[in-house]
Amino acid sequence: MMGKRKIINSVLMHVALAVLAIIWITPIVWLVVTSFSGYDGMNTSRFFPETWSIRNYTRVLFESDTVSQFPVWFKNTLLIAIFVCLISTSFVLMMSYAMSCMRFKGRKAIMNAAVMLQLFPGFLSMIAIYFILKSVNLTNSHIGMILVYSGGSALGYLVAKGFFDTIPASLREAAYIEGASEARTFLTIVLPLSKPIIVYTVINSFLMPWTDFVFAKIILNSGISTDWTVAIGLYNMLNRTLIPTYFSRFCASGVLVGIPIGILFVIMQKFYVEGITGGSVKG
Amino acid sequence: MGACMSENVKLKKENPAAEFFRSIGIFFKEFGEAVAKGDWGVKASLVVMGAGYWKRKQIVKGVLVTLLEIAVILYTVLIGIPYISQLGTLGTVERAMVYNPETMKNEVNDYDNSLLILLFGVISLFFLVVALLLWFANVRNTYRLQKLAESGKHIDTFREDCSAMLNDKFHFTLLALPVLGVIVFNVMPLIVMICIAFTNYDQNHMPPAQLFTWVGLENFKSLFTTSLTMTFGYTFWRILGWTLLWAVLATFTTYFGGIILALMINSKLTKAKKVWRTIFVASISIPQFVTLLLLRNFFANNGIANTFCASVGITDFLRDLGWITTDYIPFLTDPVWAKITIVVINIWVGVPYLMLIATGVLMNIPEELKESAKIDGANPFQIFRKITMPYMFFITGPYLVTQFTANINNFNVIYLLTQDVYTTTDQKLAASNGKEIDLLVTWLYRLTSEQYNYKMASVIGICVFIVCAVITLFAFNFLIKGDKEETFQ
Repeated sequence: MMGKRKIINSVLMHVALAVLAIIWITPIVWLVVTSFSGYDGMNTSRFFPETWSIRNYTRVLFESDTVSQFPVWFKNTLLIAIFVCLISTSFVLMMSYAMSCMRFKGRKAIMNAAVMLQLFPGFLSMIAIYFILKSVNLTNSHIGMILVYSGGSALGYLVAKGFFDTIPASLREAAYIEGASEARTFLTIVLPLSKPIIVYTVINSFLMPWTDFVFAKIILNSGISTDWTVAIGLYNMLNRTLIPTYFSRFCASGVLVGIPIGILFVIMQKFYVEGITGGSVKG
Repeated sequence: MGACMSENVKLKKENPAAEFFRSIGIFFKEFGEAVAKGDWGVKASLVVMGAGYWKRKQIVKGVLVTLLEIAVILYTVLIGIPYISQLGTLGTVERAMVYNPETMKNEVNDYDNSLLILLFGVISLFFLVVALLLWFANVRNTYRLQKLAESGKHIDTFREDCSAMLNDKFHFTLLALPVLGVIVFNVMPLIVMICIAFTNYDQNHMPPAQLFTWVGLENFKSLFTTSLTMTFGYTFWRILGWTLLWAVLATFTTYFGGIILALMINSKLTKAKKVWRTIFVASISIPQFVTLLLLRNFFANNGIANTFCASVGITDFLRDLGWITTDYIPFLTDPVWAKITIVVINIWVGVPYLMLIATGVLMNIPEELKESAKIDGANPFQIFRKITMPYMFFITGPYLVTQFTANINNFNVIYLLTQDVYTTTDQKLAASNGKEIDLLVTWLYRLTSEQYNYKMASVIGICVFIVCAVITLFAFNFLIKGDKEETFQ
């Protein structure tokens, strides 16, 4: 009797999950099948294309035109991402070590100020940053983009601080007793123990230029498509006049960016959860 | 660390504001004492900053400090003063063509650029304040050196000073660059934008061709005015209402949706948990802007979702009900439909993230708690309400609050789904460049990118800050108690 009810419940559960899974996966499937379709625009009458081809991919990768310049955008974004990743990661780690493991005057004040600053909408400052960069001729340049993405990155220190908070203080104290300086303790004791959070910070800052759309649109506004990042380039492809000819290439490019980002995201997944729950989740 | 902790507890008990003013008081008292009781070295360092160090044989430090002083003075005289002196008016000479008798041509005059005056005026003023504080601190430090020397204690050499920067004062080394970055890329721009809220910088006052100037609280007044020519008041309240409603809906639908999904996947009845989880995570591994732009076309008036609905008969059914008047479903073009679609799409975007988080938290709930509840005869729903949810709230409370303010500022979902697609039919909204589905942030963005109405954009930005600050303060003071910091150390 009991067993029968359990089986029915289990079947119901799987059916419900399957329905949800279909809802969640449909847009992704649509993206992939459209990218392999044999036509240029959007087919609104059928879900699966009538003709299949890899032409969209070959065109995206090897035949750039004035609108579709995926290889250039990819190179731009990769370059920006590498530098942002280096600068942001070191900023975040430095800030969070100081906030977590050291005690000094003004520590709480800085932490409160950081909370306050994050309550202002990002673009409000972005508009002024645009003018500042313009007055030193750094708009429409990749250096400008790198500065924008990594300049204020230290504000995102909380997750890494939460991680450093969980490293036993006794380890550091042992190092001090043996005569290690604070800097040495940071570099040789704490950092090697912090691989998970370093991976998280690296991936997080690396992904920033790939997923950001707004800041890039404000700073790279010259309309010269070879300067763009992937996000603006792809957004531009869906311009009302361009959609009929570029929609399937948009899908192909979307899949191409999605693969590396997806892989990184899966690696980061575990730390993502730990970060948000303040390190209180183990396992 | 134990010592540090107890010291920290002591600090916490005092009022932070009182603490702050007291330390300022001490700072200036010590400065006064230095000026009164200092020897010639200290007094000379009032003029030449390095003097006090030279007297104590700290040659390198003295040279560095003096060089810094010269640089600051040069900057202030050459760049700072000209800009700061114009801050009061933001420039008086408008750009014009002036006949130059020498070249016999019309030339552009030596005009003022209000924006540059504001930008560099604020930055220079900030520099000047910091430099002044450094000057005070410097005099105080040389006096401290004097006291050290008088009591016959050891005075650090330059090498020792440097190694202190890697030891006791390592936080200076660590924080210097990150904090500088935050000041340049967050604090300065914010101050400038807040200033712009008190000026008339808009499409009729665009530097370099025109000047703009201070107007006091004029823009704040117009944000709350609704008249025949001015519809900002009307638009503001409508958009604020929708922003708050959106933030509540978006936050709670994804939160509970994520928890329910996580409970379903982790249920004992479910087989192949990993496979299910991977399916849902797959949908968030594609960058958000790609999926959002894709969904915008998926739900377009002539898009595939409409084709499907028409062929299955949903469109006709809705028309019979009188819910739509068109022969398509206006998923993203009708005010009500668009709001529903946006919330639903946001569930699609947000639930997998919450599912991940909830899975992590749920696995951590002590099994004994649930077991003992079961023995006491609690049904699954009671367990969920009495044990699972309070535990979830406890762990994810702060995340929920940040998520709420993030949703108030959720630019991507609204902008990418509706830009170029949604047009408003409400004349009053259109007059102030708003749309029914706009959040305060997207409205702010549209005002700057389409209308160059920087003054109103800044005012709205300040309003967003006030809204977020009130909510955050309220939530942290009343809903989430206690500070988890140092519980794990």
